[in-house]
Amino acid sequence: MQMAERRADKNKIKQEPWRDPNAEAYVRIDNVTKRFGDFVAVNNVSLKVYKGEIFCLLGGSGCGKSTLLRMLAGFETLSSGSIYLDGQDMAHVPPYERAVNMMFQSYALFPHMTVEKNIAFGLEQEKGLSRADIATRVTDILEIVKLSPYAARKPHQLSGGQRQRVALARALVKRPKLLLLDEPLGALDRKLREATQFELINIQEQLGVTFIVVTHDQEEAMTLASRVGVMNRGEIVQIGTPTEIYEFPMTKFVADFIGSVNMFEGRLVEDLPDRARIQSDELGGIIYVDHGISSAPGATVWAAVRPEKINILRQPPANTAENCVHGVVKEIAYMGDVSIYLVKIDTGKTIRVTLPNVERLSDDERILWDETVWLTWHGSSPVVVSQ
Amino acid sequence: MSRAQPGRLGPLWTFFFRYGPPRWSEYVLRNLSGQRLVIAVPYIWLLVFFLVPFLIVLKISFAEFAPMGRPPYEPVFDWLEEGALQIKLLIHSYEYLFNEPLYVSSWIYSLKVAFFSTLLCLALGYPMAYAIARSQPSTRALLLLLVILPFWTSFLLRVYAWIGLLKTDGVINNVLMGMGLIEQPLAMMNTSFAVYIGIVYSYLPFMILPLYSNLEKHDLTLLEAAQDLGAGPIKSFLRVTLPLSLPGVVAGSLLVFIPAVGEYVIPSLLGRSDQLMIARLLADEFFLNRDWPKASAVAIAMLLLLVVPIMIFQHFQNRELQAQKK
Repeated sequence: MQMAERRADKNKIKQEPWRDPNAEAYVRIDNVTKRFGDFVAVNNVSLKVYKGEIFCLLGGSGCGKSTLLRMLAGFETLSSGSIYLDGQDMAHVPPYERAVNMMFQSYALFPHMTVEKNIAFGLEQEKGLSRADIATRVTDILEIVKLSPYAARKPHQLSGGQRQRVALARALVKRPKLLLLDEPLGALDRKLREATQFELINIQEQLGVTFIVVTHDQEEAMTLASRVGVMNRGEIVQIGTPTEIYEFPMTKFVADFIGSVNMFEGRLVEDLPDRARIQSDELGGIIYVDHGISSAPGATVWAAVRPEKINILRQPPANTAENCVHGVVKEIAYMGDVSIYLVKIDTGKTIRVTLPNVERLSDDERILWDETVWLTWHGSSPVVVSQ
Repeated sequence: MSRAQPGRLGPLWTFFFRYGPPRWSEYVLRNLSGQRLVIAVPYIWLLVFFLVPFLIVLKISFAEFAPMGRPPYEPVFDWLEEGALQIKLLIHSYEYLFNEPLYVSSWIYSLKVAFFSTLLCLALGYPMAYAIARSQPSTRALLLLLVILPFWTSFLLRVYAWIGLLKTDGVINNVLMGMGLIEQPLAMMNTSFAVYIGIVYSYLPFMILPLYSNLEKHDLTLLEAAQDLGAGPIKSFLRVTLPLSLPGVVAGSLLVFIPAVGEYVIPSLLGRSDQLMIARLLADEFFLNRDWPKASAVAIAMLLLLVVPIMIFQHFQNRELQAQKK
C-alpha cells in the first residue's frame, strides 16, 4: 500500500512532520493513564498527532483504543497525564466546549430530526451564526457528502451508508480542529466499505481536518491512515506509516496482528553489520537476512516472513541451505485474485504462502494438494524481532 | 387446506360446508382458523360486556323519565297493536345537561381538576421516572417496586388514610402545631386542595410507568452526540430527551386525565360539598333521583367528551408501535 507516500506528497502533510523533531504536534497526548477501579484501560500512552493527518489507532477488543478516543472527546476523565489540542490543555474542558467532534460507531443520529436538522444541530449551538449561515453551511456539507436529495428524510428512512454520511456531515459541518471516528466503516458491506474509504480520504483532503480513527480492522487502518498506532492491552506498541508497520514490525505482536505472517523462532548465529544468520529448529534450517539487525549474538529471535514473499517451486532451488525448506501442500484456498497455500514442513510447522493467480494454468501445471514443493524466499524478506 | 375439518363438527356443518353457497365455505375455511378463534374470545367478551351495555345506556338516555315506573323510564322501542314499532327518542335529558348551571359548572370543574391533576402528576412523575430510568439496574427493580407497591393495598383505604392525614385533628396538623409552626389547624379536608392531593397521589404510578417505559429505551449515545456537538446537559435534555419522551408523556397524561374526569371516590371523601365533580352528579341522579335517563345521558356525554383524548392516545400508541417495528 503506497497510498500514504503518494498522499503525503500532494497533501497538507508536508515532508512527514513526524520525522521533523521541531515540528509542533497538533494533538499531544502526554503519559495518559485511565483506570476503572483496578483495571487499567490505558497505560501511560504518549502520542503526537500532526495537523492534517489521518492517524489510526489499531488494536483488538479491549486494547484501550476506544477509551483513549473517548478521553480525547471529553467523555472520560484522565486518571493521570494530559491531553493538549492546538496547544490548549483539555483537562477541564467538557465535551460541549471542545473543538473536537466525534463520529460514533452507531452513528447516533437523532431519530426525531430530519437529516437537515441533524446536521444543523451542532451549528445551532454555536453563537453568532444566523439562520441563513446555518442553512448555507448545511447545504454545502450535504453537497460534499453527496446527500443533497435526502435532506428532508429522517434517519430511519436512510440506508446504512447514507446514515454514516449524515453522521460524518454532522461532525464536519462544525469545522472542528479534530475529528474522531469510532470504527467508521464497521457496519458497511465490503464494496461500500472500499468506496467509502476513498471518499473519506478525499473529504479529509478537501477540508484539511485532522482525523483520528479507531478501528480493529487492519485493512481499514492501512487504507485510511497516514500513520498507524498499534495498541495492545492499553499501551501503544508501535507507531509508523502503514508501510513501516507492515514491512518493519518491531515486535511479534505487531508482525502477527497486521496481515498474516510466518514466524520462525531461532538463535542468532551470525550477526554482522550488513547481514545475519538465524538457526531455526522450527524451520529446520538457516534463515539468511540481508540486512543488519540489532540483537545480542546467540540471542533468541523470531524471523517473520510474510506469505506473499515466499516462492513455491516444484524443483529444489540452487541454494537449499538457506531460506529454503520443502514440504507438502496440505490446503489450498482459492480467493479469486490470490491463492493461499498451507504447506506442512518436516518439523511439523505449517507455512502459509500466498501466490497471485497470474496465469490460468491447466490441472497438471497448477500446484495441487499433497504435492511436495520447495519454498524459498529472498534475503530481504525476513523481518527479525526480538520480543 | 387442512385448517377446518368439517367432517368432525357434525352433519349440520358438513351440510353448510358442502351445500352452502361457495363463498360461505371459503369464508369459513379462511376464518375458522385457531388464530381467529382465540381472538374471537376477547372480541365477544368486549361485545357482550361493553358494547351491548353501552347501547343499552344509550337507549335509556333517550327515554322519558317515569318516576313511578320500574324501571323508571318509558320504553323507547314499543310494539303497537297494528304491528308497528314505535321509537320515541327524547333529547331533553341532554338539553338539561348542557343548560342546567349545576351541570355546566360541574363539567368545567371536573375538567379543570383533571387537567391540573395531570399537570401535577407530570411535574412530579417525570423527574421520578427519569431518575428510575437512569438509576443502576440493581436499584431500578427496587424503585419500580416502590412505585407499584401502593397498588397492593386497597385504593379506598389509601384515600381514607389521607383523611387521617389531612383532617383538622389529623397527623399533619398535629405535627405542625406540635412543632410550633402554626397556631390554628389548617383546614385541608373537604377542599379542592385535598382532591388534588388524592388524585395526584392515586394516579402518579399511571404517569410514572409509561414515562419510565419510554425513557428506559432511550439510546444514551444520543446524549453524548448532542454534547459532542456543543449542547450542554440542559440543552441536550430539552432537545433530545424531551422530544423523544413525548409519546410517554402523552400516554401517561391520558392515563391520568381520562379516569380523573370521572373520579368519584376521591371527591366524595376528600372534596368539597358545594362543588361536585361530574361522576358524583351521575351517581346522585341515578340513586337519589332515580332518573335513569338523565344519568345515562351524563354517562354518554362523558364518554363523548373523552373520545377526543382517547383518539389522541390511540394515535400516539400506534405511532409508538410503528416506530418499534422498524
